[in-house]
Amino acid sequence: MNTRHIAIIAKKEFLGLNHEKTILLAVLLQLFVAMFSSFLMVGLTSMYDPSSLSTATRVRYGVGLTGANTTLDQYLGERADFQVYRMDLSTGLAALKERKLAAVIYVPSTPPDALDPVQVTLYSLQNDIQTAVVQVKLKEVLLQYEEDLREVRSARLSATPREVRFPTGQRSEGFYEFVFGLLVPLLVFMPAIIASSLIIDLITEEYQHNTLETLVSTPVSFAEVVWGKVLACELLVPVQSGAWLLLLAANGIRVQNPLPILLLVSLSSLALILLSALTALHYRERTAAQFIYSTALVVVILVVVAIPGNPLNVIVRAATGAPGMDLPGTIGIVGAAALSLGYVTHRYAQWIGQRVQNGS
Amino acid sequence: MMGTLASVFTIARWEVKRSFTTLGRNVLPVAVVLFLLLMLATGFTAQSGMHLQDGIYSLGIDDPGLSAILGGDARFRVFSAEESTLQANRGAYDLVIIQGRVLRPLTDRGRAALKTLDRDYARYVSSVYNREEDLFAAYPLWIDLQAVKSEISFDATQSGQYLSLQQRSGEPPVPGGPVEAVATPAPQLPVPEDALREGLKREEGTPDQISRYTGLFSREPEYSTFRTPSQLSPPLPFDSIIFVFAFIFPLYFTSQFFMMSIMNERIERKGEVLLSGPVAPSVIIAGKMLPYLLGMVGVSTVVILAAGAPLAVLLPLVPVILFFLASALLIGMVSRSFKELSFISIFFSTVATSYLFFPSIFAQVHVISLISPLTLIVLQLQGEGFTAGQYLYSTALFYLTSGVLFYAGAVNFNAERLFSELAFFPRVRDFIAASLSRDHPFRSVFLMNTLLIPFIFMVQMMALVLFFNLPMPWSLLLLIGAAAFIEEFAKSIGVYTLFFEGDARPGGKTLVLASVATGAGFLFGEKLFLLVMLTQITDSVFGSILFLQQGILLLWMPLLLHITGVLVVSLVIRAGGTRWYLPGLMAATLIHGLYNLYFIMGWMR
Repeated sequence: MNTRHIAIIAKKEFLGLNHEKTILLAVLLQLFVAMFSSFLMVGLTSMYDPSSLSTATRVRYGVGLTGANTTLDQYLGERADFQVYRMDLSTGLAALKERKLAAVIYVPSTPPDALDPVQVTLYSLQNDIQTAVVQVKLKEVLLQYEEDLREVRSARLSATPREVRFPTGQRSEGFYEFVFGLLVPLLVFMPAIIASSLIIDLITEEYQHNTLETLVSTPVSFAEVVWGKVLACELLVPVQSGAWLLLLAANGIRVQNPLPILLLVSLSSLALILLSALTALHYRERTAAQFIYSTALVVVILVVVAIPGNPLNVIVRAATGAPGMDLPGTIGIVGAAALSLGYVTHRYAQWIGQRVQNGS
Repeated sequence: MMGTLASVFTIARWEVKRSFTTLGRNVLPVAVVLFLLLMLATGFTAQSGMHLQDGIYSLGIDDPGLSAILGGDARFRVFSAEESTLQANRGAYDLVIIQGRVLRPLTDRGRAALKTLDRDYARYVSSVYNREEDLFAAYPLWIDLQAVKSEISFDATQSGQYLSLQQRSGEPPVPGGPVEAVATPAPQLPVPEDALREGLKREEGTPDQISRYTGLFSREPEYSTFRTPSQLSPPLPFDSIIFVFAFIFPLYFTSQFFMMSIMNERIERKGEVLLSGPVAPSVIIAGKMLPYLLGMVGVSTVVILAAGAPLAVLLPLVPVILFFLASALLIGMVSRSFKELSFISIFFSTVATSYLFFPSIFAQVHVISLISPLTLIVLQLQGEGFTAGQYLYSTALFYLTSGVLFYAGAVNFNAERLFSELAFFPRVRDFIAASLSRDHPFRSVFLMNTLLIPFIFMVQMMALVLFFNLPMPWSLLLLIGAAAFIEEFAKSIGVYTLFFEGDARPGGKTLVLASVATGAGFLFGEKLFLLVMLTQITDSVFGSILFLQQGILLLWMPLLLHITGVLVVSLVIRAGGTRWYLPGLMAATLIHGLYNLYFIMGWMR
């Protein structure tokens, strides 16, 4: 093993990547995934529930109320975001159709302590996003009313749930769990996935373009060629993951323990890259290797995620700074896995190199 | 005709034979094993759950019995201690509950934990109530959701008016039209009590992955329009969306195989034999594609049958399959190396999947969700079905774009393009130039711009998604800028590839004519597209008439704008050479952006 040879091969691959520039698409893709997933979370939540953002708007929605007088009248009237009008059902529905009201509520005259439930009818516009917003707001009022009715009927209940009182007026911490529990592991692991798929292309290309014999006839051994390619892919990972952590920090998201996280991600990606290299060495053909590897990857990810205390969970906990996780132990286990995969890959590559040189 | 068909089948047979010899021997057994493993792994994960956020919160309680309210939520590490110890070490826990009272959290993580605890508690409460003998004492209030169709909603917002549901005055609104007498609803629930209880229990049993993060959405209750107040959330067809992925994944893999098969023809000029035969390129493409097309339809049918879904789901999948195949064809023809193929295809499939997937989230909320064929699948799965009009609306874009892509692939499927060693962008330029007719330059520029419209709509949709995250003035400005840039770029492609090939310097008159053709083609495509879309989704003729009137009145302004944009780009290139393409494009974008900004500002005023 000559480290200079490995470096030469790695440099050759970097030059190739740089020449084609399409790796930018991979970076762009990660950016896209990040923005898209936060769009889904932040965008949808704030669209349906504007008050989840601090700049809550003061809009009043017109609500037509019809039927019996109940405590619902009072709760609706207390809300600053509703303007309640008492009107008859037919007029209310006609106004709703002309979009002069946001909703019409009909309350039946069922007594609160009746055996039957109180069945309130809520009319709102079909296929309209504002309708969803109004329903989210009405839900709070209806929950209050439900609590009143339940109180009246409480004698008929056999068990009561344990009471826990929550502090009121708490500023809600909207997206902490999404950011740390999903976005951070997704972002730091995406470079690893891309790198492991890249090595298949780099290896099978030598086979399918028949450049392997030329390469092996130089002083560089086949094992060195493989390690050079592994190195090129592996180096891309901490750079990209590190860039993600910096970008997150620039957005005010402080990820704790960045260095151990980068180490763990690099080791995990080394294991993935070696697994992928083995697949490529075995099949020597891109279609087969990519297909088998990506299916295997899905299986591996599914199984890993289902195990408590998996590396992804460790990264999440390390990122939040939650104590009580075994970071060194996990790094050790993943490192050992990468090491043994490296040994297998090395022996396999040596064996193939000998066969190529013998001309079989 | 018969001869063509025969050649298609011959090539298809070759393709099947060859892919089986490359894949068959040692891939198929491994693939079968992996597939079985995948099933097992899915089952294992479904049973054990996702352990991604385990233990990120710590909770201190004075009463060990209280951990019941967590319902086994692994996100919490629970510590029970004496009240005084908890008080003293409050900072060591994210949340502390003392005597049934949650103390105010001190950190961001604590506030996030509070939200999670709140949801766990709500689930615990309903799990207690769901076991009540007297269901209507536990759930005394049921809400019957009735959707009312508004006659003016969609057309009004389209024509630029923003008809809001918000109320300003204190006076009760008076309907302008006639008031129809409506009978008051019957006070009794028409649904049996057992059905309601079943529904409540089913909801409790399923840990909801999405509601973990937002807590806003609920899955559709399966029993009619009746909800308890806590079920009153924006509907998110979560199950159907997950199910939709089961359709998309096989399509993605199969299109990868097709892509690779095209690429293989180009490696070491292997495809030369095929090209030298007496068959047209379109026949070769059709023949090579046929096995994959049939395979995709077959796999989808198997998935549908296995899931017991209606076969009508296949209909919206067909244009998606065609679109995947058409793009795979072009990607396989354009990429220079395997890594380029990977990058382009991963990028493409992610963007395409999110384009397909994203609107279907709004399946129950807004008609605009119909721009994705997947919405039709969601609707079909929920038992609502879709009309022919809706089908046309949501799939037209995909049929059109696939058609355009196939055409571009067919005219470029020759030795010169396939074995060219040029870099990515010059190659793409060659591809476009070959798709245009030099004998009828203006006609082909007009047609090209008309056909580009669906692509532009797709790209602009994605830009909307990307810039949404940014704070308000920036998101609007960037969106206007991006929309203008995308349109100007698209319009300049035709003129650039056709009139500035090599060192050609076309005359001023030619450029003006070409710009007029471009602007007219673009506007024609845009208006035609909008008209087709609008008439398909609005039932009333009223809407389309409204739109047309307004359209004809204001047609000359955008036409002038579109022509000016291309003209600016082409004049700049003519004066300074192709190096000045980008600055010219920027200038045109600026003009276009300012125009848009002026009108949006005017509209906002």
